[in-house]
Amino acid sequence: MLLDHAALSQQLKDRRYFADEGLLTAVRLAIALGRPLLLEGEPGVGKTQISHVLADALSRELIRLQCYEGIDVSQVLYEWDYPKQLLSLRAAEVEGTPVGNLYAGEFLLERPLLRALRSDAGAVLLIDEIDRADSEFEAFLLEFLDTFQITIPEVGTVAAAVPPLVVLTSNRTRELHDALKRRCLYHWIPFPDPERERAIVEAQTPGLSARAAARLVRSVNVIRSLNPLKRPGIAEAISWAQGSLALADEGAEWTDALRASLGLVLKNAEDGALVAAHAVEVFGDDDR
Amino acid sequence: MTTAEDHLFGFLRGLHEGGLRVPANKQSEFFAGIETLAPSTVGQLYWIGAATLVTSEPERHVYDDVFRRFFGLTEAPALVVTDEPADDTADEDEPTSMPGSGEAESVVADATGGSGLAASTVSPENVRRFPATTPRAHELIRELCRELPRAVPSVRSRRTRPGGRRQRVDLRAIYLGSRRTRGEIMRLYWRHRPPRSRRLLLLVDVSGSMKQHSADYLRFAYAVVATCPRAEVFTFGTRLTRVTPHLRLSDVDTALAALAEVVLDADGGTLIGTSLAAFLDDHADLARGALVLVLSDGLERGDCTAMVAATRRLSLLAAQLHWWSPLACDPAYRPLTRGMSAVLRDLDALTGVDDLDTALTAVRGKFATTQRSAHV
Repeated sequence: MLLDHAALSQQLKDRRYFADEGLLTAVRLAIALGRPLLLEGEPGVGKTQISHVLADALSRELIRLQCYEGIDVSQVLYEWDYPKQLLSLRAAEVEGTPVGNLYAGEFLLERPLLRALRSDAGAVLLIDEIDRADSEFEAFLLEFLDTFQITIPEVGTVAAAVPPLVVLTSNRTRELHDALKRRCLYHWIPFPDPERERAIVEAQTPGLSARAAARLVRSVNVIRSLNPLKRPGIAEAISWAQGSLALADEGAEWTDALRASLGLVLKNAEDGALVAAHAVEVFGDDDR
Repeated sequence: MTTAEDHLFGFLRGLHEGGLRVPANKQSEFFAGIETLAPSTVGQLYWIGAATLVTSEPERHVYDDVFRRFFGLTEAPALVVTDEPADDTADEDEPTSMPGSGEAESVVADATGGSGLAASTVSPENVRRFPATTPRAHELIRELCRELPRAVPSVRSRRTRPGGRRQRVDLRAIYLGSRRTRGEIMRLYWRHRPPRSRRLLLLVDVSGSMKQHSADYLRFAYAVVATCPRAEVFTFGTRLTRVTPHLRLSDVDTALAALAEVVLDADGGTLIGTSLAAFLDDHADLARGALVLVLSDGLERGDCTAMVAATRRLSLLAAQLHWWSPLACDPAYRPLTRGMSAVLRDLDALTGVDDLDTALTAVRGKFATTQRSAHV
């Protein structure tokens, strides 16, 4: 139903997400072909956000799996509730009743991947920052992404009634395996062009005037072009807008408010010094 | 319809010839995508291909070129391609490597029969052949392989293993054990986080001024890759090259020969600052929490601010930052060049290493962090 280009674009826009042509196509393909979608891009360009928005637009449950080093199967698939199994074993012993099935559903703790498979309406599964997990975990994911099924020795194979829409994100801190990439659709989310970024900032910051937004987006773009250690993403631009707006509401000049809340965009002392050295270009007044 | 199909197949062949090898399943996804989305403009076709055929940002450039050749220009992609800063800097690098025009640079250029610029262009005569490894060197490499696992500092793994120190109760094992005794717990089982060696990151200077040492440095790098499970090796002269996979061969001479094929800036000029900055831009996370060894004489041509800034960032990321310099082998050596004296405060150790013997001594010293005082 969201295969239509305009409809999908509108759905996302209603949820204040402004996707470009490439991302829209990638998402439509992911839905149509049922393939996982691998998103890469600089931090803060909306990789995680898109799956929140998609889940909302598709009215599906969002299941998020945050990856980290050393993540393993018991945190990802399922785990048996050992204390509960132990207690019921003890209870049966004390009461003299026969021990029931200790691997019944009530003892199974569902972790994100299993939950995504069992979700009746299908889920949007976000596997966030896959590059943080180690390559063993990546290899383990391959089977899941291929067949959308999980085998639990004590229970049997669990297959998805409705395959989940899988979104993987990576900050490219390490090269992912080709085997994983081959199974995914790939899209690199670039920084948006100034116009789209202004639309995003305005949509996310109610009460911000168009001119103030334009000024802020221009400053953010200048900062990015200065090649700082960390180029500010859209997320930073939005929080800068919100912070500056809060200060401006207290009566500060817009440019002063921008300067005062600079800490919301720059998270490095070196970058702060860099912007201070180029203050004229960054905060330059275009209406004078 | 057949002509359109032929054109698409021709496009896929074009990609293959351009160096982008698309697996069969991705190709069929490409066609499935065209079928389901029925693109009406070239721009839409572009994005369908971009999502299905491409798996990384560099591949996108190949894709762009070939796409332009087969389907003409589209207005949409241009916007994305221009937003790629890596290219601009790479272009700027080349000229700056050349005019180094200082005396030292021309000496290097004369000695090696090529300027920094010539070294950075891809031509077969720049492929450097390393002399065969002597039996004595083989001996030293074996010795290094024995010593390295002990010398590299370790961290606690995030994955737990049964037994060992009593850190965590192993509920699963306890439950399984208690089933035998009808729910009675007879024994507690434990899990612990075993030690795991830190990542070892080597940044090897292969520029002209390091010519007589780089072969031994790379042999050391070979020993590191052979023994440390999480080692990474980069070489730099005027550009940065990741050589870890090339060193992962069973024979050291084969590995060095493979390396000569990819390291095209060997014996050229030095751009330490730019190379380290390039590393930090693309691979900063490899340095996070790692033991970082920079193998270089630290003789930066021209302005050294980039080198100092990059070293500072590197030392903030790394668990330990060691600088191995052949110059520091001389007990009278003082790091007085502007670059080295500014870098010194960010180093955990400045160690004199100019061949495998001294490397072995440094490794036996377990990467001690005290040598710095000898030179300050």
